[in-house]
Amino acid sequence: METYLWITSVWGVYLALAVFIIGMGWRIYEWATTPKSAVRLGMFPKPATKTGRFFKMLKDTFIAPHSAKIEPAMWVFAFAFHVAALGAFVGHGRLIAEFPILPELLGHDGMNAFAAMSGSIAGVLMLVGVLFWIGRRTFGPYKSLSVPEDYLLLFLLFGVIVMGDHMRFVYGDIIHADTYRAWFQSLLTFKPMFPEKLLSGNVGWSLGTHMLFTDLFLIYFPFSKLVHTIGSFSSNRVRSE
Amino acid sequence: METVEMQTLAGVIDKKMNRQLKQYIDICARCAICKDACHQYVGTGDFKYLPARRAELIRQVYKKYFDKTGRFVPALYEARDPDDNLLDELYDSTYACTGCRRCMYYCPFSIDTAWILSVAKAVLIAAGRGNEMLGQLADAAIFKGDNVAMFEGVITSGFEEIAEEVRAITGNPDHGVPVNKQGADVLYVALAGAHSIRPAAVIFEEAGESWTISMFEAANYGYFYGDPEKARLITKRYIDEAVRLGVKEIVVPECGHAYRVAEFFYEAWSKEPMPFKVSHILEKVDDYIKTGRIKVDKGLIEGTVTYHDPCQLGRNGGKFEQPRDIVKAVTSNFVDLTPNRAEQWCCGGGGGIVAMEEFKDVRLKSGSKKVEQLKASGANILACPCENCRLQIEELNEIHELGMEIWQVIDLVVASMPLPGNKKSAGA
Amino acid sequence: MSDETKIDLELDLKGLLCPLPMVRVSQNITNVPVDGVIRAVATDPGAMADIPAWAASTGHEVLSAGKEGDLFVFLVKRTK
Repeated sequence: METYLWITSVWGVYLALAVFIIGMGWRIYEWATTPKSAVRLGMFPKPATKTGRFFKMLKDTFIAPHSAKIEPAMWVFAFAFHVAALGAFVGHGRLIAEFPILPELLGHDGMNAFAAMSGSIAGVLMLVGVLFWIGRRTFGPYKSLSVPEDYLLLFLLFGVIVMGDHMRFVYGDIIHADTYRAWFQSLLTFKPMFPEKLLSGNVGWSLGTHMLFTDLFLIYFPFSKLVHTIGSFSSNRVRSE
Repeated sequence: METVEMQTLAGVIDKKMNRQLKQYIDICARCAICKDACHQYVGTGDFKYLPARRAELIRQVYKKYFDKTGRFVPALYEARDPDDNLLDELYDSTYACTGCRRCMYYCPFSIDTAWILSVAKAVLIAAGRGNEMLGQLADAAIFKGDNVAMFEGVITSGFEEIAEEVRAITGNPDHGVPVNKQGADVLYVALAGAHSIRPAAVIFEEAGESWTISMFEAANYGYFYGDPEKARLITKRYIDEAVRLGVKEIVVPECGHAYRVAEFFYEAWSKEPMPFKVSHILEKVDDYIKTGRIKVDKGLIEGTVTYHDPCQLGRNGGKFEQPRDIVKAVTSNFVDLTPNRAEQWCCGGGGGIVAMEEFKDVRLKSGSKKVEQLKASGANILACPCENCRLQIEELNEIHELGMEIWQVIDLVVASMPLPGNKKSAGA
Repeated sequence: MSDETKIDLELDLKGLLCPLPMVRVSQNITNVPVDGVIRAVATDPGAMADIPAWAASTGHEVLSAGKEGDLFVFLVKRTK
C-alpha cells in the first residue's frame, strides 16, 4: 500500500499539478494570443455601462439565469454540483492550513463536526449531480451528442467523488483533517511522508484511489471541455459586448 | 475525397480562427441546453438541427487538424475529416440555420452557434458547396452595383410610379420620392419591392424629412451566403452612395438582417469607420410620432394587434421598444406574444431560408412554435418589421388557417394617418 | 419579337415581392431545356432590375423585359 500511496499521492500529485498548471497556462496563452473577432458578437438586452456589463457577465456565468429558464431540472443539478464542488474545493483548503476564526468559534471537535457535515452534503450533492449527468447522457439527443471525452470526464469525476465520499463516510469519525494535513504539508515542503495513521489502516487505499482519480482528472483538465471554468467568463463577456 | 482537398477545407477553419471562435470550440460542454431553444430542432426533432450538433461538426474537424489533444487522441473527441459525409450534414445544418441566436441566448456560456456556422459556410463555399441560390442572389446584387447605369432608368421610373401613389395617398402634389438628392439628411435604403418604399415615402414626406432614396436594396444575400467579401461589396453599394450624397444618416427598412449588417458588421468587414449613423426606419417613425412630426389616429385599425420581434432586429439588434411603441400608438388593442423580446421564438424564415427551396419542409415545420404563439395571442393582425419573417408567417398563416393579416409596421402607421387618399389596404 | 418566341414555361409571379420573382425564375431555369424560354409575369417593379441582373451575372439571357399594363413581363432564355 505504501508504494501505491507514493505513486498516487506523492509523485502523481506533483505530476498532475505540473501538467495542470502548465496546461492551463498554455490554454490561456493560446486564447490570449489569438486575435479577437473584428465583428461585434454581442446580443441584447445588454447594460449600457461597462460596469453594468461586467456584473451581467458575472451573473450570466455564476447564475446562468437564461439556462435556468429553459431547462430548470438541468440547472438545479448543475448549480448544486458547481456550488458543492466549490464548497469541497474550499473545504480542502484545510489540507494546507486550518481555517481562521471558525475553529475558535466552534472548538476543535465542533470544527471537525462542521467539516464532516458540510463535506458530506457537498459530497452527496456532487455525486447526485454526476449521476444525473451520466443518466442524462444515456438517452436521446444527449446520447447522440456525447463523445468519449464526456464519459471519460464523468468517469474520472465519479471516481474522485466516490472515493472522497468513501473517506468521508467510512473513515470520517476516525481520521480528521489534521492527519491529512500532515501528509499534504509534507508535499508542499517537498519532504513527502505519510503519517502512521494513514499507513496503519485501509484508509490508505481510499486516499490512494481518491488521489489516483484526482491526478488523472487534473492531468486531463486543461485539454478538455472543463476549460469552461475559465473560458465562460470570457465568452459571457462577449455576449454583452 | 482527396486528402489534400480535405486538408485545404480544414485549413479554412484555421484561417477564420479568432479568440471567440476558439473559446466556443474549446468550452462547449455538449450539455444540449440549446436543444429546446432552437425552433428547427423543436419543430423537427431532427438531431442534425440541434445547435450544439451543428457546431460539433466544425469542432470535430478542428480537433482532428489543429488541436493538439485532438491530434493526439482523436477518438476521444470523435475528431474526423471534412469528408463528403460530414459536408452533407454540414450543408443542411448550416444553411438551414436562420441565425436567430436563440441558442446563444440560453447557453450558459453564451456560445454563438451562428458565428461558428459562418465558418462552416466558408468551408462549404471552399468545397464548392455554397448554396447556389444565395450565391446567385448575391452575385446579381453585386452586378447591379457594378452596372448602375444599366439599371438606373428602370429603377428611377419605378420610383416615379411610387411617387404617384404617394401623392395619391397624401393628397399633396409636392410629395414624391427624391432620387440622388445631394445633401439630404437621410438616405433611405429600401428593399427592391415597392411595398417597402411607398409607406416609408408617405411617412418621410409627411414628417417633412430631408431624405433621398437609394438606388440599391438593403437586403444582403452575400451575408446569408456566407462570403464576407460579397457581403461587403453589396453593402458598400449604398455606403458609397451615402458618402457621395453627403447624408448624415442611413436608414434601413423593415428588414432584419439589413439592420444588423449595416449597424454591426459593415465596419468590421470594410475596416473603416462609417461617417454617418445607421438607424432603423422604426426608430425614425417612433421619433416622428413622439415628437408630433406625423399624426396617427388610434382606432383606424380594427381588431387586436400583436407584434413579432424579428431576431436580427430584437435579440441581435436591440430594438425591442420602439416598434412596440409605434404599434401601441396606432391601436388600443395591443397584445404581446409569449414569450417576447429577447426570448421571442424565431419564425423560421430568416437566414435566407425562404429563398432555398430544399429547406421548405424544415422551414414550415420549424414554424410550429410561432403558430402556437400566434394562436394563443388571440390577435387578428400581426405587425412584423422583417421581410423574411413576413414571408414565412404569411405561409404559416395560410397553411394553418390562422386567418390573420400580416402587416409591415409602416403600413399600419400609414393606415392610421389621417390622409385623404388613405385606404386601409395601403400596404396590401 | 416576343410574339414569335416559343414559350417553354409560364411563370406567374404576380404578388411576389422582390427578390422572390428572381428566385422563382432561377429555380425554374433548369426546368426548361437549353435555349428554352421562360415567360415570367411579375407585379413588383423591383423585378425590372433584379431579373436582368440575375441573368447577367449567371449568364442567361433576357430576351425582353417590359411593362404590359400593371404587369412586368420577362422572356428569359436558358443559355447553358
